[in-house]
Amino acid sequence: MQLRDYVIRRLLVLPFLIIGVSMIVFALTRVGGSPIGIYLSHEMTPAQVAEIEARFHLDKSLPVQYFYWARGVLQGDFGWSGVSVAPVAEVFPKKLAATLELSVASGIVAVVMGLWLGTYAGARRNRPADHITRVVAVTGASMPNFWLAILLLIIFWAQLGWMPIGRSTPEIIALVPTRTGLYTIDALLAGNLVAFGDALWHLILPAITLGYGATAIIARMMRSALVEELQLDYVDAARAKGLPERLVLKKHARRNALIPTVTVIGLTFGFLLQGTVSVEIIFRWPGIGKWMADSVLRGDQATLMTYVLFTSIVFLVLNLIVDVIYANLDRRVELGK
Amino acid sequence: MLDMTNRPSGLANSPATIASVRDLTVHFPSKRGMVHAVDRVSFEIRDGETLGLVGETGCGKSVTGRSFLQLLPIPPGILAQGTVTFHPHARCGACAGTGCDACNSTGRRPAACPSCTGAGCAQCNGSGAETVELLRLPEDRIRRIRGDRIAMIFQDPGKALNPTLTIGDQLSEVFLQHRTEELLDAAGIGPEDRGLAARLLGRLASQRNGSIDNLLLSLPPLRGKRNLLLDALRNNVAAALAETQIANPYQIIDRYPHELSGGMRQRVMIAQALACNPDLLIADEPTTALDVTVQARILELIKDLQKRRQTSVLYISHDLSLVRRICDRVAVMYAGRVVEIGRTDRIFRNPSHPYTRGLLHAVPTAATKRGQLMAIKGTVPELVDPPPSCRFVGRCPHEKALCRSKNPELAQISDEHSVSCFIHDAAGAADAPSFDEKTQ
Amino acid sequence: MVDLPSPSRAAAPVVRDSAFRVRMRRVRDLTAQILSNPATVIGSVIILAMFAMAIFAPWLTAPNTPDPYQMPRDWAATRMPPGTPGYLLGTTNEGGDVLYGVIWGARMSLQLSLVVVGSVLVIGCIIGSLAGFIGGKLDEILMRIVDVFLSIPELIFALAIAAVLGPSFGNIMFALAMVMWVKYARIMRARVIQIKNSEYIDAARIIGDSKLNIYLRDILPNSFTPVMVQATLDMGNVVLIAATLSFIGLGEAGIAEWGVLVSEGQAGIASGRWWASTFPGLMIFLWGLAFNLVGDGLRDALDPRTESSR
Repeated sequence: MQLRDYVIRRLLVLPFLIIGVSMIVFALTRVGGSPIGIYLSHEMTPAQVAEIEARFHLDKSLPVQYFYWARGVLQGDFGWSGVSVAPVAEVFPKKLAATLELSVASGIVAVVMGLWLGTYAGARRNRPADHITRVVAVTGASMPNFWLAILLLIIFWAQLGWMPIGRSTPEIIALVPTRTGLYTIDALLAGNLVAFGDALWHLILPAITLGYGATAIIARMMRSALVEELQLDYVDAARAKGLPERLVLKKHARRNALIPTVTVIGLTFGFLLQGTVSVEIIFRWPGIGKWMADSVLRGDQATLMTYVLFTSIVFLVLNLIVDVIYANLDRRVELGK
Repeated sequence: MLDMTNRPSGLANSPATIASVRDLTVHFPSKRGMVHAVDRVSFEIRDGETLGLVGETGCGKSVTGRSFLQLLPIPPGILAQGTVTFHPHARCGACAGTGCDACNSTGRRPAACPSCTGAGCAQCNGSGAETVELLRLPEDRIRRIRGDRIAMIFQDPGKALNPTLTIGDQLSEVFLQHRTEELLDAAGIGPEDRGLAARLLGRLASQRNGSIDNLLLSLPPLRGKRNLLLDALRNNVAAALAETQIANPYQIIDRYPHELSGGMRQRVMIAQALACNPDLLIADEPTTALDVTVQARILELIKDLQKRRQTSVLYISHDLSLVRRICDRVAVMYAGRVVEIGRTDRIFRNPSHPYTRGLLHAVPTAATKRGQLMAIKGTVPELVDPPPSCRFVGRCPHEKALCRSKNPELAQISDEHSVSCFIHDAAGAADAPSFDEKTQ
Repeated sequence: MVDLPSPSRAAAPVVRDSAFRVRMRRVRDLTAQILSNPATVIGSVIILAMFAMAIFAPWLTAPNTPDPYQMPRDWAATRMPPGTPGYLLGTTNEGGDVLYGVIWGARMSLQLSLVVVGSVLVIGCIIGSLAGFIGGKLDEILMRIVDVFLSIPELIFALAIAAVLGPSFGNIMFALAMVMWVKYARIMRARVIQIKNSEYIDAARIIGDSKLNIYLRDILPNSFTPVMVQATLDMGNVVLIAATLSFIGLGEAGIAEWGVLVSEGQAGIASGRWWASTFPGLMIFLWGLAFNLVGDGLRDALDPRTESSR
């Protein structure tokens, strides 16, 4: 199958998966009690209740209700957030910027550190550097990130007092005009280095916490892929051509080891998305993860379901991108298997 | 490799050998002890000859072949002792490598010893030829020999080619490593326009370029020159491919290895190996992974190229019939040692080691009668801390007590024919084994 | 690893090996191989210690509440540092004994992992193997459902289900099972299809075995290897995810569960009381680590590439 056909086929399947996810989300909203609970009060007469029910189409059959709900979602109506006392659609982008900044930062940490560690260890198999990397890898995979966050806070915030908590110092960030919603970028755009430093300083601990698990996964995959590649004949053939070891590693072995690692990098994005919830709670990071956790505790279903729908779509799209990159990189891959 | 302008017309005493292996010993540690994979192996390769290195899987022939390029797996392997000396050639000054009468149309001539420029001194043993010790050469110097003066063909071309790089990319690497200057000349980038441009192009031509270099080179002022260089490279690659009778080299260049047939891939490997007109070619079972019909053609190709360029070849194989067709001389290896070495016709007419005899009896020919095909009894011994006996003890039909207590040395039995077996040892006639006597 | 037959075994007369003995030998070989890897040994030791702690919890720290899974509260001894007599690992802000929580948390985690992994193993294997074996429309429909389920990140999905059901430990277990069975169904289906297309199943078909017989006797017993590796890894993962959900607030407040305890201890860290979060968190980490180590060892030992050489 041609790469183009494969991409087109995957793109055609994508809407169906999204519809499937939306059905699950819709089903969950109906399981979790009345969706109009937040609009009702004890003083209302049955007629008033019936009127509200009619307004939200609750008097219709379930498929019809789904249709109305889905139409609302497509028009940008995600419901009313009880936690933020505002429409979900209005609050969401602001909160998303915070989460985006955090997850992109930790994604960069994870990819850079993971690939570097994995390459370093794989090229020095069974030497101390390799053993240390393997310990990092295996502990990272089983580290509950809320615990790691608390440990880091105990050490660097509570005991040493080096690192701050939260997203920024309010007085400093107040001077920076909002353009992208990402504090580090906004500060740079405004040329305010103090604000940039402050935003970065707040970002470091949560980004490391969130990125640790993903670093471990990437490093581990990169290491084993590189070790496997280095044992193949073409590596010796490259050496026999007279290539310096640097090029043998960089142009031949590492390049090929990156191919299987790319799929894992795709998976870690899902990992990062999930991880933002507990990391944001602990570091008091005002992103969608913390927002969602708050709404869970207060029964704010509209927020929760928007969050689920959103993360699933991001997850699906990222996976699609990664698969396409993978297929593009690896000429041997058999598409559509 | 050498300054060509003032190289001498001839050497004091041009050596007849291109490379010689002395007492090569390679050990591999294992859980149960030291595996003596290669044990005091000695032989020489004469200039322009094809030497066959024959033996079963695991007899140490591949390790021996790889030692020429320092491609031994060290660690975990241990180079216990031994030397591999090599006399590199340089491009013929008279014809600039295209082939002339002075260099016998090979385009190469033995390089002169750097300390005496060919007059003959202690360092070159009076020969006047440059002599290098391959096993102990530092990384940067062995790198300049790999792929340039000594090249290697691997067993399975499907595995020895990088699956994610095009054929052109992989062949280019050889030229980029060893023919930087020539590429710049061919592209018309002379030393006169030195400066940033030439420096950048030089970096590109020797693969030391980074992403910033690439960016600069892709901008208009340098773009034209870069394209000239890449065209020159492409032409060189196509010429190398055409050498191996590939009909449409320019179409092959942009293909990936998996798009080619096995025979085609091996042609690419051969083209890659011979791209720099090497003095010595290590061919490690180059036809084993191929179909029988393709095998014959590849064999002919190697033979042909070898004749044309007078390249010395070390042909490693387990297949006696192949070796007989292509080699001038044959070395038979068994359990990490050379047991017999000599001219091909002598060895096949008069095999003088019991193992060689056994091997020849195990190969069917048209003359073999039904029931005459014989297998050698027993199995190859484990090479973990071997006792000081002959390695063939236990499988040899003629063994005596002497064989179990002492390891025979390789000794000449006739002109151009040496064997390591007590059968030919006149001194120990009393308890020496003999072919007439079977001890089963 | 190439296992050469030992001389004694090779020399022994070849008796008709019963299937049971073949299997027993394979288990023995596997055990030997697993134990040759130090990481796996460490993992196994931690698992054994955790299991012992879970099983002997009532004897290690006697409960003094009617429900032993509720943290006992000693309001006279709040915020005690570790090493306080009677409170080896200290107490929480609400006077909960951290050691008690750590030990009874192990019991809770054991229950949780056994129930969740056990049930998803059964559900996933039945659905996956039927889809793979019967194929056709059924397979198509089931796999589309699986695709949709796998589109939602695991933790988020479990969180959403647990959230709509309300905070309780039982709901967390239910949510985890709802989310995880798909993975098993998919792995099982792939394995069954692989076996179905192998030559020995063709052979069984040719000699006229009934479909049910082939399914029950030839396919099912041979397809458990990959799901077992996944199950081992998930024994650790479910505790990790459940703890995360509890930490977020979907567990029952006041129960002796590690995630709840970390959450409870979080309040004290600003004032330097590090112990109430650290110890339960360490237990979650060790639990996850142990099963990861053993799961990896198992996967390496069962790798088809090494299996074929045996």
